[in-house]
Amino acid sequence: MDELIYTLKQQIIEALNLEDMKPEDIDENASLFGEGLGLDSIDALELIVMMEKNYGIKLQDPAKGKEIFKSVAVMADFIAKNRTK
Amino acid sequence: MTNPILITGCGVVSAIGNNKAETLDALLNNRSGVGPLVYLKTEHKEFPVGEVKMSDEEMRKRLNISDNAITTRTALMGMTALDEALKDAKITPELIPEIGFISGTTVGGMDMSEQFYLDYVNNEKHREYIAVHDCGSCSEMTAEHFGKFAFITTLSTACSSAANAIILGANMIRCGKASIVVVGGSECITKFHLNGFNSLMILDTQWCRPFDATRAGLNLGEGAAYLVLESEESAKKRGVKAQAILSGYGNACDAFHQTASSPDGEGAFRAMKEALQLADIKPDKIDYINAHGTGTPNNDASESAAVKRLFGDNVPPMSSTKQFTGHTTSASGSIEAVFCILALQNGFVPVNLNWSQPMEDGIVPVHQTVKKELKHILCNAFGFGGNDSSLLLSKYETSLISSETTTPIYVLSAKQISVQQPLCEDWMTQPVVYQQPFNRSIDPSFKDYISPIEARRMGKILKRAIATSKEAIKASGLDSVDAIITGTGYGCIENTEFFLEALSKDGEQMLSPTYFMQSTHNTISSLVAIQTKNHGYNVTYAHKGISFDSALQDAVLQMRLGKINSALIGGHDELTETFYRILKKGGMMGKDDEMCGEAAVSVVLSTKNDNYLCKLVNFNMLHKPTMEKLKAVAKDFQADYILTGISGNNKSDKLYLTETKELFGDAKLLKYKHIFGESFTSSGIAVYVAAHCLKAGKIPAHLFVNQTEICGKKPSKILIFNHSDGNNYSLTLLKA
Repeated sequence: MDELIYTLKQQIIEALNLEDMKPEDIDENASLFGEGLGLDSIDALELIVMMEKNYGIKLQDPAKGKEIFKSVAVMADFIAKNRTK
Repeated sequence: MTNPILITGCGVVSAIGNNKAETLDALLNNRSGVGPLVYLKTEHKEFPVGEVKMSDEEMRKRLNISDNAITTRTALMGMTALDEALKDAKITPELIPEIGFISGTTVGGMDMSEQFYLDYVNNEKHREYIAVHDCGSCSEMTAEHFGKFAFITTLSTACSSAANAIILGANMIRCGKASIVVVGGSECITKFHLNGFNSLMILDTQWCRPFDATRAGLNLGEGAAYLVLESEESAKKRGVKAQAILSGYGNACDAFHQTASSPDGEGAFRAMKEALQLADIKPDKIDYINAHGTGTPNNDASESAAVKRLFGDNVPPMSSTKQFTGHTTSASGSIEAVFCILALQNGFVPVNLNWSQPMEDGIVPVHQTVKKELKHILCNAFGFGGNDSSLLLSKYETSLISSETTTPIYVLSAKQISVQQPLCEDWMTQPVVYQQPFNRSIDPSFKDYISPIEARRMGKILKRAIATSKEAIKASGLDSVDAIITGTGYGCIENTEFFLEALSKDGEQMLSPTYFMQSTHNTISSLVAIQTKNHGYNVTYAHKGISFDSALQDAVLQMRLGKINSALIGGHDELTETFYRILKKGGMMGKDDEMCGEAAVSVVLSTKNDNYLCKLVNFNMLHKPTMEKLKAVAKDFQADYILTGISGNNKSDKLYLTETKELFGDAKLLKYKHIFGESFTSSGIAVYVAAHCLKAGKIPAHLFVNQTEICGKKPSKILIFNHSDGNNYSLTLLKA
């Protein structure tokens, strides 16, 4: 799981073009949206594309993203359970 | 009562009809034009759309356009609607050279670019279509089918483009700049924006349900509509009647988010309120609101909130007509304005089709046919970036309050990021000299202007626009500006390229929403508004080499009308290696010895003059003028120096030399493109250069076209004489 979390952080940084950020800068338990990293609805859409590309998970309802993208740890857990590649 | 804006004709084409008569019949009989895809070639068959029920070939035939002529679907629909509008207003061909044409589009020639993009990049095939990729070309193709209009420009504020074209036309008539202006917009469905909206997950796979609790997104539509706006005096002289009047209008910026509307609908609220104020009409006089009502959860909630703030518990009958036509994006403002005119003339309220369940805190739309006399209708059109506009259409009996002034206008500040040293005037003494034919800007560190988290989605053009805007506002001494007006020839070309590249190579799946939302031209102006928390007037012009000039003209008109006292005018264009090669191949730039660059210019204008660079004394814009007409205009533009766009392009330079000689005799010629390069908004650089020369009280020797004319004489008046390909001209007179 730790490996997945680290890879996921790298993929988030790349997908969202978070210049100057390293995986170590992201707390896997902190909130990605709002108070934490400060991401918004467009970032959520980019993360949906990223999950489909890298893990073969297709999210039809963007509203579901709210639950899944709570934190990197929650996201990693969802990916581990649902990935098709 | 002065200068009411009469609507003396209109024409429309959309999914519910190829003309006004068919449209009216569909509206009265609740017949929707939304259905399965027929004409667009895409793998996304799951989305219902509102296509115009004619193929390109059928439209060509109707318009007598030969099979091998270069054109686009947006232009063909535009011509179809314009043909009806001109006939409806009894405009004969000999009148055209006296009439202006203002159109709104975002897609432009994208229907061709998305088919031929890989050919543009890799070989010589289809290169003739490169020249019609941009928004301005689309307007010119549409207009030129009917003759040589007096001036042409193009607005690109996403889904409010056509509404803003109508507002500009009205301002021109009120200022006495024109007596007839044809205004509106056109937009065809493309794979580019169908996929773009899909990447934003706001398309419904079912028939859209605006203001319904179960609404789940929009259906894309397409179409075009044009209105003939005319002064009362002109209509009387021509013996034509008004079908309705444009009694008010408002434009405001939500300044909230690039693709989402604010929860309280601030921009929409301000736009509607301004429209009512301009007409001096109380909210209880409004008989019907034609909503923007796209059917996305976000728009309908935000628009409901805005309407309830303005009308309280007495919300007038309201409906969305997107279920009839789909969302016709850039054209929706004028298409729905025509629906409102038809409603006024025929006394009915169009039904909000496909509605059954009220949404939480939402308005309850009109869901059964209502026949009644209508006097005043509000017509809303909102765009990405929070570019919100509202039009007030009325029966011809109310008046518009006009207050034209001749207040002097001052250039308070001007800042640039270009191929010269950024955010300073080092070019005056130590210009950077280039040998390469194409050079990218010298960028400053953007960290002082934009935080890393804010910068995550911004391309270079956006960062440059924000940095120059913030510096220009700071240097102006103003706390904020009343309006933000931007010109861009090609907009965010880098993100457009990324999206086109992915679409062409990887297909129509897993596309990045960021690239799409950053590809619209008005992203620049709306991001500057978000960054500077500015809710004022906000529009974007995208018309080739006169994009910046069009923005400047808009500010001058509104200052003369007393609507604004200050404005931030931007001219922003970027160029990538790939697009440089494409545009060079299409003959659009880089001919002969011309050096191409990038430019970001921000200029603050104000009617107040605490500390200024120079005064703006006069401005004019013309489309394909005759020498007689140029001579008549030039009389009011005499100056000691003329700053030309001489760039190393032989044909264009020759025109500058012969025309300035004929128009201004022996005035000394200056140039700036040899050090700044050619870009689509380089006329913004010209204003920047001239303003700083006037402020410095001297002209650097390297700007003189003829080295024998170099002199230390202090400049008092500089005329910026600009033409783009000999088609569009602008004259800007600046005084120390």
